[in-house]
Amino acid sequence: MTQTRNLIDENGKRTDGRTIDELREVKITVGTVKNADGSAFIEFGKNKILAAVYGPREVHPKHMALPDRCVLRCRYHMSPFSTDTRKNPAPSRREVEISKVMREALEPALMLEDYPRAAIDVYVEVLQSDGGSRCAGITAASVALADAGINMRDLVAACAAGKVDEKIVLDINDTEDKEGGADMPIAYLPRLDQVTLLQLDGRLSPEQFNECIDKAIAGCKMVYEVQKQALMHKYFGNETEMKEEAQ
Amino acid sequence: MSSSKRSPIIVEHLRKQQMWDALSRGKRLDGRDFGEQRPLEIEIDVIKKANGSARVKLGDSEVIAGIKVETGEPFEGLENKGALIVTAEVLPTASPHVEPGPPDEEVVELARVVDRGVRESEMVDLDQLALVPGKIVYTIFVDCSVLNADGNLFDATSYATVAALLSAKLPIFEMQDGKVVDTGQTKDMPITTIPVSITAIRIGDSVLLDPTAEEEACMDARITIDTTPEGFCAVQKGFAGSFTIDQLKKAGETARIKGEEVRAKLRELTGKNG
Amino acid sequence: MHDVKRRYVIPGDKIVEGNFRPLMNVIKAGNSIIATRIGIAETGRDGVKVIPLSGVYIPRVNDLVIGKVVDHSSLSWEVDINSCFSAHLPAQDVFGRDFSPARDDMGRHFAIGDMITARIMAFDRTRDPMLTVQDRDLGKIPRGEALKISATRVPRLIGKRGSMIQMIEQATQTRVLIGQNGVVVVTGRTPEGIKLAVRAIRMVEEEAHTANLTQRIKVLLGIPDTPPQQQEAPRDAVSGASKPEESTIDEVEEELEVEEEK
Repeated sequence: MTQTRNLIDENGKRTDGRTIDELREVKITVGTVKNADGSAFIEFGKNKILAAVYGPREVHPKHMALPDRCVLRCRYHMSPFSTDTRKNPAPSRREVEISKVMREALEPALMLEDYPRAAIDVYVEVLQSDGGSRCAGITAASVALADAGINMRDLVAACAAGKVDEKIVLDINDTEDKEGGADMPIAYLPRLDQVTLLQLDGRLSPEQFNECIDKAIAGCKMVYEVQKQALMHKYFGNETEMKEEAQ
Repeated sequence: MSSSKRSPIIVEHLRKQQMWDALSRGKRLDGRDFGEQRPLEIEIDVIKKANGSARVKLGDSEVIAGIKVETGEPFEGLENKGALIVTAEVLPTASPHVEPGPPDEEVVELARVVDRGVRESEMVDLDQLALVPGKIVYTIFVDCSVLNADGNLFDATSYATVAALLSAKLPIFEMQDGKVVDTGQTKDMPITTIPVSITAIRIGDSVLLDPTAEEEACMDARITIDTTPEGFCAVQKGFAGSFTIDQLKKAGETARIKGEEVRAKLRELTGKNG
Repeated sequence: MHDVKRRYVIPGDKIVEGNFRPLMNVIKAGNSIIATRIGIAETGRDGVKVIPLSGVYIPRVNDLVIGKVVDHSSLSWEVDINSCFSAHLPAQDVFGRDFSPARDDMGRHFAIGDMITARIMAFDRTRDPMLTVQDRDLGKIPRGEALKISATRVPRLIGKRGSMIQMIEQATQTRVLIGQNGVVVVTGRTPEGIKLAVRAIRMVEEEAHTANLTQRIKVLLGIPDTPPQQQEAPRDAVSGASKPEESTIDEVEEELEVEEEK
């Protein structure tokens, strides 16, 4: 992708008014799907994405079960009205690929060996998309998994960075994604300080590459704070500060 | 090919007993009367990128409908009319019993019945939507995603579709040098009427409006009736049981009365008349 | 009073550093103990654990559960115990060793849709849970109102030595059967009593982790305040009292109450 027009103006403002280090507004609500074991709804900029988790539960068909650990199944899917031009409801190759990298981003955080012969299903549905939907989807899925009470080593926070007007910027939006120079989504385990998803689409010099990773990780850490707040709010309400007294 | 199947939801005998006890006293398990609908919440314009959208919560059933308007070839035999297509997908998020995959016969039926209500009522004046008669027409896609399923997806999906259409903004297309161009301006969707869907089920001799998933798991038969202020425009009897003629006629009357209540709500919400 | 520190945690939170024993829903990572679930972390003399606030019921041997019969073969009934695995009740358990499919009719004894109380006889990583109904008070539940709560709230609903559930039963004139799997069946003299009991149960489920819950339940049930010295009789086995070694959310509550009385 070679850029054709300027996406950052002379005041350092991007197409949506942000500075290069600014994250879009992120809001997470936990437990919005009543029937699911765990769920989360995320608004990441203009992205509106729902994640629902069912599990652990029985594996159907039975022969797909694994004897020593849980089967993790992920589906990333976009509703037909979620994009600028209508998307056919049948799964596209892009959705198939994203489903796979999403599963591989979440799996390291889950203690699947605790649930042998069972399955955990993660469904991510994009209701409105605006660049960075896979990162928003992984972020919501991680919260939904915690909501479902699945044993996890850590949460998974995801965010992308990219190259726009030869500058490395945080959290690229749809326009920057389509017209910019590079797009690098990352998923990150905050406590373990490990990366579980990394993709690059575009050209970066060695310096830009490192800068991009660092910037995306910084974004992941900001996203993690929102995840924490959302979970604490649902479970502990206004009592988020439990008395830490010794009795 | 369609084959009989067992309902995935097995309702406990204890629960069925409770249900029968309640029905004999004229009440349902959640305390409602036979002819009472669950709380209905409708929100419009929830998906800004779509040309129109609505989110409906009917009890715990939740559906989002999104509208995308494009141009394309007209349907065969309807060369001078715009095209309208309603699809529905019950997302695997909606319940533990849904598996991802192409729509099964229940979901196909759902989409087609909702489509029928909208189409046969002539809610959208498709005559106004031919760009180049015979060749290029407006194509309106209404796609519905069921997020959480707790019974009566027929009504929930229909209300979302209708609310989305009522509040949608149609992009104005023009022909320039033989190509379709989006002028960037919009206008209201040409609406002629507001169809409203009312669904009821029969359990024993009781006919119950707006069933929950649990009630549907115990039902003998189901009837969905679409009405306009003038009368009826679409009906579908579902499930493998039967109704008496009397029950059907009464259901028709109830559908008209209850339908008008929902219609008033839609009018108020969207400011549109039908 | 023993030295116990408590905190709200989410997965990945570091609870404490040092040489502590990991007990439940935690992992040891280097020199730290990390929470693996959302819940209340407790650090005490005997180790560190997290009392979870969400999660599907995972079967444990000896648990008393309430299940729904969903199918049967000629050798066993398949029972939905609201868990990630289907449980099986072998025909032999009911009909005895010399059971004959020709003579003993499975469907007539337990039909699809029946609710039963049973105990988990066997369960491990290699097979589905196996049930038994060979015990006093186990078997088909003939009547009552059934509801599901999160299995993580069951200890709170039972209360220390059954104090919470007994209080609800006495105030509403009902009998409440509680399965460790979160299925609860209420029977009672009056529909109003049953309704009130159900409301109380739901309130416990929603507010299990908060302080003053017992007080609020008392208000809901219309129970006048009584002095704290009254001891409750120990809970009988049928309702599945929680195991003594497991700290419960109830103990958190009791200690918070004692704290307030000082």
